[in-house]
Amino acid sequence: MTDPRPIVVGYDGRAGSQAALAEAARLVEELGAATLVVVFSHGVTPLGGEVADLEAAVEERGRAVLQDAVDRVGDGIPVETELRGESSADGLVAVAEERGAQMIVVGSTGEGPIRGILIGSTSYKLLHLSTTPVLVVRAG
Amino acid sequence: MEAGQIIPPGPAPQVGDKGLKKDALGFVSSLVIGVASTAPGYSLAATLGFIVAITGIGLQAPAVLLVAFIPMLLIAAAYYYMNRADPDCGTTFSWVTKAMGPSLGWLGGWAIIVADIIVMANLAQIAGLYSFLLFDWQSAADSTVAVTIVGVVWIAVMTAITTIGIELSARTQVGLLAAEIITLALFAVVALAKVWFGDPPAASVDPSLSWLNPFAIDSFDALVSGVLLGVFIYWGWDSTVTVNEESRDSSEGPGKAALLATVILLLIYIVVSYAAQAYGGPQQLIDNADDVLSVLGEQVFGSPLDKLLIIAVLTSAAASTQTTILPTARTSLSMARAKAMPKVLGDVHPRYLTPHVATILMGVLSIVWYVGLTIISENILFDSLAALGLMIAFYYGLTGFACTIYYRRELGRDLKTLVLVGVAPLLGGLILTAIFVKSIIDLADPGNSESGDSWLGLGPPLVIAIFFLLVGVALMLWWRTTADGRRFFRLRPQVVDPAIASGARQAYVDRELRND
Repeated sequence: MTDPRPIVVGYDGRAGSQAALAEAARLVEELGAATLVVVFSHGVTPLGGEVADLEAAVEERGRAVLQDAVDRVGDGIPVETELRGESSADGLVAVAEERGAQMIVVGSTGEGPIRGILIGSTSYKLLHLSTTPVLVVRAG
Repeated sequence: MEAGQIIPPGPAPQVGDKGLKKDALGFVSSLVIGVASTAPGYSLAATLGFIVAITGIGLQAPAVLLVAFIPMLLIAAAYYYMNRADPDCGTTFSWVTKAMGPSLGWLGGWAIIVADIIVMANLAQIAGLYSFLLFDWQSAADSTVAVTIVGVVWIAVMTAITTIGIELSARTQVGLLAAEIITLALFAVVALAKVWFGDPPAASVDPSLSWLNPFAIDSFDALVSGVLLGVFIYWGWDSTVTVNEESRDSSEGPGKAALLATVILLLIYIVVSYAAQAYGGPQQLIDNADDVLSVLGEQVFGSPLDKLLIIAVLTSAAASTQTTILPTARTSLSMARAKAMPKVLGDVHPRYLTPHVATILMGVLSIVWYVGLTIISENILFDSLAALGLMIAFYYGLTGFACTIYYRRELGRDLKTLVLVGVAPLLGGLILTAIFVKSIIDLADPGNSESGDSWLGLGPPLVIAIFFLLVGVALMLWWRTTADGRRFFRLRPQVVDPAIASGARQAYVDRELRND
């Protein structure tokens, strides 16, 4: 039985998200999802200055990362990309809802709980925010 | 969609409506940043005594703070209108480049960065000192080495938070500011209540409305000297305008928040200076000019509540360390993207997506400057603060002129435009220029410096300012010779788009600087 609903994967280019991307690509084939939606989402802190320029810099980074994801997935799997301006968790949840995704796949680099609180753990937040099932993939 | 088809990442349009440009900052947060980066608690604690001490001013200190507010308001108008025309860039750097050409623009950006690095040293010093005072550890507070080490730790921690802690930065800031303002308000209320209803100390004076009257100051020279000191306690509100996010209201919101921030600062300063003067009397403020608040705090609150004012100054300095690093890093990011500085300063961190190279560089330069100066002489550290005034007067003044020049073709539109967009910023620019010149004359006299040293026959603050100016000019000339630099310095001044001057709310994002 196949499920054509898309699979959403969060990608920022780091090792954890590479593992997530690979797993998500595999699941698209296995489950017969129509598309793999790769999301780069990041909100820029407005605190203290020159936000527009920082946004532009982050945006450039996001495009490069998404292109990298497309290159990695390679031929054979239908890929779409989305660049979002919310925090990573919010962006993933929004994309998954808009597209009626069957699941969200994210990577984990195994950041401890304190580090997670300090810098904001996307997978942790997702587990609480998302109504779409979430799959967390640990980097090799 | 067929399997096997790859849809490449979409080009720009995807980003347009749901991309990174999202309204993330409300009006209140803008305001918080504007007030916090001014560090009202610390600014007042370190300045009020010196203003009261000027012969001929005494109890008229609140009047001086009121007069000093005028040029700030005029420059805030310039920020408001320039931000409306160009909300997408490194404020003074970008605006002056547009209105007056790349060389002055570059020097404006340089002045911001230098001013920020200098003030970091001073904030770190205060944060270090008050960390020990908070725990009554007097012997450590008296040790320059101990204070410097803790000061360096403060800079390092704030740099780290700014680099990694996107959400943490915002929360830290709101918490620190709330602690500061609540304490100052509590101090003012208790002090005034004791003067009116309790048993005030012998030296206390009944507050009088006449303290606000600048015409009660007989000597014009005294007023000018007071305003010189007073102007810079308002420095920092411009951080609000540099927070010009791409929200729908980006062209109006931050400008309004900046105007309101200056007014809030004025209120804080007037109320707290009234309370301090009324309770302690002028002589006590003069005797403790280095820090009037913590001494008065002991008397007003008594132990252990007197620690509250130490917390106010400490949080004020700590918050300001952060709101100083943030815009400095982003000014250099902005300059890097405009090809006015090396490209690497525009890099963002792959994980945290903050301008980590610029942020860490600013942190490191601040530490080098702080430790270096402390080793040479602690008095030089205070002298460098006087040099700071010159940089601020330079870039504020430049911004005032830039506004009038940029809008010059539109000033004939109506009387309101002429007054608010033309005359007010010009007048602000002229006042700041006058302050700049008067400061240079004052600082040229070695006798006026904290250290009392004479360097090349001049006071150290002036030598420090000239040194940074020369370094700036040298760096600029060198950058002109690079490939990127040649492109940047070829930019020619422009005038405002008439559609913007007429107030039309069209999306006007001038990307020429970056994309040509």
